Amino acid sequence: MFRIKRIAAVAVGTLLIAGQALAADKKVVAVSIPAADHGWTAGIVYHAQAAAKEINAAFPNVEVIVKTSPSATAQVSALEDLSARRKLDALVILPHTSEELTTPVKAVKDAGTFITVVDRGLNDPSIQDLYVAGDNIAVGRNTAKFMIDKLGGKGNLVVLRGIPTVIDDERIKGFQDTIKGTSLKILDIQYANWNSDEAFKLMQDYLAKYPQIDAVWANDDDMLLGVLEALKQSGRKDIKLALGGNGMKDIVKKVIDGDAMTPVETPYPPAMIKTAIYMTVANLIGQAPVRGTVKLDAPLITRENAKEYYFPDSPF
Amino acid sequence: MPRSDEAERQPVLRAEGIAKQYGPVTVLSEVTLDILPGEIHAIIGENGAGKSTFMRVLSGYAEPTSGTLFMAGHEVRFSRPEQAQNAGIVLVHQEILLADGLTVAENLFLGRELMRGGLVDDRTMRRIAREKLAELGCTASPNALVREISLADRQLVQIARALLDDYRLVIFDEPTAVLTGEEVERLLGIILQLKEQGAAVLYISHRLDEVQRLADRVTVLRDGKMVGTFPGHSLTQMDMARLMVGRDLAALYPERSAEPRGQVMLEVRDLAVPGFANNISFSVHKGEILGFAGMIGAGRTEVFEGIMGLRPATGSVELDGKPIDIRSARSALDAGVGYLTEDRKGKGLLLQERLAPNLTLSALGRFHPGLLMHRGREQTALTEAVEQYDIRLKSLGVKAGQLSGGNQQKLLLAKVLLTNPSVVVIDEPTRGIDIANKAQIYAFIHRLVAEGKACIVISSEMQELIGICDRILVMREGRITGEVTGDKMTEHDIALLATSDAAAATEQGGRQ
Amino acid sequence: MTVITGSTPLRPEREWNIGWTDIGPFLALLALLLVGFLINPDFLSATNLGNVITRSAFIAIIAVGATFVISSGGLDLSVGSMAAFITGVTIMFMNAMAPDWGVLAIPAGMAIAVAIGLACGLLNGVIVTVGKIEPFIATLGTMGIFRALITYMSDGGTIPIDRSLRDAYRPVYFGTVGGIPYPILISIAVAAVASFVLYKMKYGRRCAAVGANEDVARYSGISIVKTRTIAYAIQGACVAVAAICYVPRLGAATPTTGVLWELQVITAVVIGGTALRGGKGHVWGTVAGAVILELIANLMVLSDLVSEYLVAGVQGVIIIIAMLIQRFSK
Repeated sequence: MFRIKRIAAVAVGTLLIAGQALAADKKVVAVSIPAADHGWTAGIVYHAQAAAKEINAAFPNVEVIVKTSPSATAQVSALEDLSARRKLDALVILPHTSEELTTPVKAVKDAGTFITVVDRGLNDPSIQDLYVAGDNIAVGRNTAKFMIDKLGGKGNLVVLRGIPTVIDDERIKGFQDTIKGTSLKILDIQYANWNSDEAFKLMQDYLAKYPQIDAVWANDDDMLLGVLEALKQSGRKDIKLALGGNGMKDIVKKVIDGDAMTPVETPYPPAMIKTAIYMTVANLIGQAPVRGTVKLDAPLITRENAKEYYFPDSPF
Repeated sequence: MPRSDEAERQPVLRAEGIAKQYGPVTVLSEVTLDILPGEIHAIIGENGAGKSTFMRVLSGYAEPTSGTLFMAGHEVRFSRPEQAQNAGIVLVHQEILLADGLTVAENLFLGRELMRGGLVDDRTMRRIAREKLAELGCTASPNALVREISLADRQLVQIARALLDDYRLVIFDEPTAVLTGEEVERLLGIILQLKEQGAAVLYISHRLDEVQRLADRVTVLRDGKMVGTFPGHSLTQMDMARLMVGRDLAALYPERSAEPRGQVMLEVRDLAVPGFANNISFSVHKGEILGFAGMIGAGRTEVFEGIMGLRPATGSVELDGKPIDIRSARSALDAGVGYLTEDRKGKGLLLQERLAPNLTLSALGRFHPGLLMHRGREQTALTEAVEQYDIRLKSLGVKAGQLSGGNQQKLLLAKVLLTNPSVVVIDEPTRGIDIANKAQIYAFIHRLVAEGKACIVISSEMQELIGICDRILVMREGRITGEVTGDKMTEHDIALLATSDAAAATEQGGRQ
Repeated sequence: MTVITGSTPLRPEREWNIGWTDIGPFLALLALLLVGFLINPDFLSATNLGNVITRSAFIAIIAVGATFVISSGGLDLSVGSMAAFITGVTIMFMNAMAPDWGVLAIPAGMAIAVAIGLACGLLNGVIVTVGKIEPFIATLGTMGIFRALITYMSDGGTIPIDRSLRDAYRPVYFGTVGGIPYPILISIAVAAVASFVLYKMKYGRRCAAVGANEDVARYSGISIVKTRTIAYAIQGACVAVAAICYVPRLGAATPTTGVLWELQVITAVVIGGTALRGGKGHVWGTVAGAVILELIANLMVLSDLVSEYLVAGVQGVIIIIAMLIQRFSK
């Protein structure tokens, strides 16, 4: 497993050398991502645009174009537009859905473009030259490990899960597999659609239903905000931990501040798009082959390392 | 096509002791009659006499509580309309029940489309549609959308649709209610033709003149009971009316004391309603009843909808010498022009609402000054209106849709008069109304002008206009083609003006 | 003339003619409470009921406005997005005013919220009535516009309220008067005003007439344009009131605020007894409908009967059963 920072450092280093060597030929890198419709995708857009700005400023012979699309269909059209206008040297794509984007991306690939896929895999992995993704199972696993540790291996838990998708399933699976065999008991698990309002209501209901809850896990930080608000209203003292996931700045800030209820956070940071763009550019002009699969770890963000994951200017 | 009847003159259908009760209420009792092949048998009666219940029993929409139906001598039982249809009884509904957005041919075969190899066979259906319509003298194209063809053609399409089945007995329920002059003639021709072909026809109508012309026998119902069956040609219209009502009727049209007409009340100059009428100028005086005659589609209704601000119109309209704004219905109502629509179910009353809200709907502002509504005042007004206009109802809490046609019309009249208009326009005042209510409506109209209002009556029944009006304007194709007064108010003169050129009509009229 | 006066005295119309449509939703509500109690006695605890009814306040308040729109024969799909948009704008105004005005920024922001709500509602109304565009399409359009605006204003993230206002504003959702949470009081007040307008004022009569039969209303001299536009404006104001109650709950507006609220709102109105095709509106039924929806969701979590995967399906079944009971109990 790589660590994000290290990869970025290597990539930037390579670029600096390469930038001077190959100034003549201008390389085009297209970045196709979903439009900002909730916190996490907003973070993706923020980091992608930041990467484009930095690279375009630093390397006159590279042009990074960022294109956002509100739906899978729009993303397919965007790909066609991008590749029709000029030859793309590389494409960095975070697909809306695996199914709909596989064939269009393959068409781009067949035209000789270097393909970097981020987060959501395509149906045919042979299309991608580089795959950068977070580790959703690790998000669940690392949160579970911390809870086991902190609660001494026993206690009552309630869980809020998101929208039925692979991402949600993997996080829940990582969590459930890890607490297996311990005396931690999941009292209840329900969908709250990664939505703060629904999480608020669900947490109120959990509190009404269960007189003794030791810890809450919301598998995404948007939901954690609703959970915390419901806890605050109830005034209950039995809940010792309320954890989230994804690396939202408000929650990372809590970790930095040493919040007792939310002392740790697991990242699934949208900054991964930035990593992917830098690595792609490095491959393109740096003669540093970066093919393969890069799985970003989901290390526990604690008070000690939290500053690394804190982006106060990002909307997420 | 009619089936040939093996037993000549055996009744196609015999009803014996048919009775129908809804809960404790008996709406039909002991009706016994038979209908012979090649016979036109009319059923007449006031609203609520049980005509429609009887018709529903015959056509399978309702099961009788007691009594038996026989067809060709065998007992039959219908619990669904399809069963009656399969037995050869077809019903031509009073309302036009066609899908507006489909073509004529599609409507004709709706629900029984012809198929060929699993696909809808449009070609054959269009061909048959064209033939069937031609037989009825309908000129509408099978490809035309129903919403684009005339009301009369729609009626014919509906008849064609009914006659597509094998039939022995054809029931017509008020088929001429929406038709005028020529169209009625054509329809009566069709009915006589059916009779010639040997079919039995059951004819239900308010128009006693039609009954008199068509019917071989007439069965009279009153209050759910049978008054009797009479040979058609021996009855005068007055006889029929007397049998229906059960007592002597005073003259249908009230006598008018010849009062001098007052000053001009409403003056319309150069009114144009784009697409419907042009160059309309006329005036009506205080205390006068002015009639508007013409064919359906001549633009009479549209002229007054234009004056009322209900459709775009230009021109000058003055009431009592003061110009009124014809861009909104509100300003016309406020100025003192009241209009009773011809479509009282669709445009006049909220059928799902109770009576009081209906009564005050046009006069909300006048009736409830200030912010709040005064329910007590509303109830008083309703009680007064019920008394004044003789609205018959079970309780003051019924909904408008539960009233009979005549009582709805009286309610509508009360509603419009609550705005205190000085000119009252009544469009088709007695359409679908039985004879006793008709007489009352006419009396109310006379009372209005006696009170010093002016009244304008639009009607497709020339008899009615001649009977109640002081003066009649005739319209054709969006123009006023002439005016008749006094002795000139005859059906002949009006029909000429309504159908041929104004100049020619005057000339012809002059020769008479 | 042959006038025969009726001999039987007529029963006068009762002032309050209460029918199945009026009490149906409340019977359903009672049945639901009973079933809930049998499944889990905690269901009837004061805290739980307090929470649930408080939560239903947003939908209830917006649905009261929708009762006007639907009664007048219209439809408004934009309410959820509009709520998010108003929430966002209100927070931004409050945040901007906070440094100079202190906590006074809160009432000022509320006034602005109502003004914006009225403006949004008027916009919908004018597009539908003057523009003569089908309400479904017109408000589908503005739904997209409002949603895009909140996403744009928040950069896809959140618009949090200024920390200095947070504690002062919090009681508007979490506070109580005599043990009753503010949002409940506010929805009762909104419903009371609405039922006054709908049943005691001329406007209500006009609204129902326009919805029941546009032609009859037109022929009776009632302005369709004015009546419907006002209904949409009332809807906008109600959305604003809901937004005012919503802001202190999570203290932020996000692009996912109010997603799918429009469907809950329409469902609440219809469960409440108002026909979707227009006509007489049932304000209190609508409020009951909103509470029923929230109770069903609550009951799903509190019972262990239903797999988490099937919750939405069971909710749908319950709603359809409720409607069928109403239909056949007539």
